[in-house]
Amino acid sequence: MKRIQLEIFLGILTILATSALILYYGITEPERMAANAAAAQARQIEVGAALYEAQCSRCHGVQGQGIPGLCPPLNDRYFFDNRLKDVGWSGALEDYIVATASSGRLASTRPQLYPGQGNPAMPSFSDQYGGPLRPDQIRSIATFIMNWSETATLVEVPSLPAGPTVGVEITKELPTGDVANGEALATSLACTACHILAPTGPAWLASDSQPGIGARAAERLQDPAYTGKATTPEQYLFEAVVDPNVYVVAGYAANIMPGAYGSQLTDQDMADIIAYLLSLK
Amino acid sequence: MIKSLNFQDMRKKFSQALDARVRAITAGLGITELGAIMRGDPPTEKPNPRYKVHTTSFLFHIRPRYYELGSTIFTHTFRLGFLTTFFFFIEVFTGLILMIYYTPSPEKAYTSIVNLMTNVPFGAFFRDLHRLGAEGMVIFTTLHMLRTFLTGSYKKERSFTWLTGLALLGITLFLSFSGYLLPWDQLAYWAVTIGTSMAEAAPLFGNEVNLLLRGSPDIAANGLLRFYLLHVVLLPLLAILIISIHYYKVSREHGISQPATFTEEGNATSEKKKWAKTRVDFLPDLFTSEIFWTSLGLFLLVLAITVLGYRAPLENVANPQVTPLDTKAPWYFWWLQGMLKLGDKTLMGIILPTVLVVLLIAVPYIDRNPYRSLYRRPLAVGLGILSVGALIVLSYMGLPEYGIKQDPATRTVQDLIPMEGPGPVYEIPFDQLQNGAYVVNESPTADMCLNLDFGCPALEEVFTSYSEKINGYIEAGELPEDTTATMVIEDWQLDLKKVTLRITWVDAENQNKEYSREAFIHADRGSE
Repeated sequence: MKRIQLEIFLGILTILATSALILYYGITEPERMAANAAAAQARQIEVGAALYEAQCSRCHGVQGQGIPGLCPPLNDRYFFDNRLKDVGWSGALEDYIVATASSGRLASTRPQLYPGQGNPAMPSFSDQYGGPLRPDQIRSIATFIMNWSETATLVEVPSLPAGPTVGVEITKELPTGDVANGEALATSLACTACHILAPTGPAWLASDSQPGIGARAAERLQDPAYTGKATTPEQYLFEAVVDPNVYVVAGYAANIMPGAYGSQLTDQDMADIIAYLLSLK
Repeated sequence: MIKSLNFQDMRKKFSQALDARVRAITAGLGITELGAIMRGDPPTEKPNPRYKVHTTSFLFHIRPRYYELGSTIFTHTFRLGFLTTFFFFIEVFTGLILMIYYTPSPEKAYTSIVNLMTNVPFGAFFRDLHRLGAEGMVIFTTLHMLRTFLTGSYKKERSFTWLTGLALLGITLFLSFSGYLLPWDQLAYWAVTIGTSMAEAAPLFGNEVNLLLRGSPDIAANGLLRFYLLHVVLLPLLAILIISIHYYKVSREHGISQPATFTEEGNATSEKKKWAKTRVDFLPDLFTSEIFWTSLGLFLLVLAITVLGYRAPLENVANPQVTPLDTKAPWYFWWLQGMLKLGDKTLMGIILPTVLVVLLIAVPYIDRNPYRSLYRRPLAVGLGILSVGALIVLSYMGLPEYGIKQDPATRTVQDLIPMEGPGPVYEIPFDQLQNGAYVVNESPTADMCLNLDFGCPALEEVFTSYSEKINGYIEAGELPEDTTATMVIEDWQLDLKKVTLRITWVDAENQNKEYSREAFIHADRGSE
């Protein structure tokens, strides 16, 4: 066989083989595109998860469980099923999340339960409105939040006490507190959502470097930098719960802790919490 | 009536008319002649119609009538110049298709690539082909230059062709580099940031050059648009112009060089020389050969994508605020990064490379040795081999692993969960990511998943390698004895897990140190 004929023969063979490969690729292309689409969605959820943890978890909870007295839960059946109806939003939930996260909330829609962290209730997160995130990053966060839609359960809203509340006057006489009930309250009021020092547990327990909050409260009263009105460790803790901005421990920022606990706790609740905290030396 | 119909006459007229049509299309080759070409028979008409097409047809006019037999020997050229052109055409064709779906703006660029891969049939295929073709073009252009150097084909009348070839190498590198930015992912953004920051080192006008390229101090919308226009308009037009000049010189002026063995005195008998000068006609021999190489090249490219699974990389969307660790320039600029590690940025990044380019341009004028045979120019060949060796060593030195002292904890974590791109933790199948907190030197490294009936060999492998790395650093004294290294795997959401690597230790100054990184891993992420 001459070289030219060999080339024609092999050329025809490779062209046929190439066509067969392209045909095979074309037949499997819809599945490949679907897999690519799923992968793109998955990457967006991964990116959103990291951004949520960095930007949103401090207020809305690491697992989206919300913090009563601060921010609403997002990993919540109500949020996925009824929230849009209640606010009268006509678009999709994902767009509602993008819109809210982008522009923030000037005023809370549920000030009694979730007043947010002051004015505005929620800051804007889009860099178009002075926030830190690009639009595609906010979209990723929304995709991550939407991924809770299948598994979310109803988060129970803690009910406000019906009777009189403790108020913000720290010299008030309180009944005798119960340590066990105080510990239960500290957990159920979601204090640990913020006051946490992983992996050793809530920040008020004793750790290697410092004693428990009961001993710390007594020490802080003696600190010349102390600016509050309390004269006893009991009053110090009382004040720290109902009026947290009077004195902020060095190294922490002001205006982070909700200031509404005075109107959410009864006298007995307050006494129990104080008793529990004081027991931690 | 019937008598007046002459079928033979009609058939003749019909075939004449058909032949005339065919000749109009093929610029003078009749049906019989085409058949003869296919069979490899001699020409059927006189004068030879296979030469006549070179004057009647534009496309054949720009091709030569013949090559000399000596220059068609495969081991002389390896068809490298032809294959480089082949890759250029692949790039033009796939590039035009990609252009339809691409939007050159930071907001849209990445999404348009994702859309291409998820919504456009064969979209990912053409992207892979374009990327693979780009790598091929860089490799084959370089090899083509190396071959020209080694066979001494840059001498005398070919010195200008050598210069245009160098210009084409430069254009190829910049074409590839400018295309690098367009997907607007982390890989693209930071590789191009590094690349353009080299321009900044230029004396006097470095800052201006950098600004002109990037459109602003950092790469943003303006920079992307500039790179896009460079990539799809200016550089391709320049490439077409200079390829035309380069090719014209080769095909019309001096032809492809003969191997030195046939031309240089003492090497070859006059018979051999005469044989080497035998003409090989373009039609049909060279033309068939070119079609054969084209179909073989296409086959290999398609094979690489469809069967061998070549995928053009795509990382997360570009984030100017986060520089991933181990960021590096495209591989063909690693040697430059390696040089930058050796000394001053201006000297190593600008002055020395410029001197190198000037030297390359001047090679035909510096090298006065009249011989082309490898054995008769030991100095040039030695220098050539030395330069290739130096390029490889410098490229290795350009890698982030070389010469940069890294904190052992950071290195360990980065090796297992890199900030961008593939890594061992990401390769663990999702169902093997068993929840738990695993502590190096405390948790077992075998039989980690007794509850999974399929076990978790991939997780065990990663945890073992984690333990080995940490223990290696402890033995080398770079981490203290009581270093705690943990790997925590948690359920995070539906089909989403969180993997945390945390290393804590007490340093020489008795300070508590910690390095940790979290990765979220989704079941559908797909392997990289």
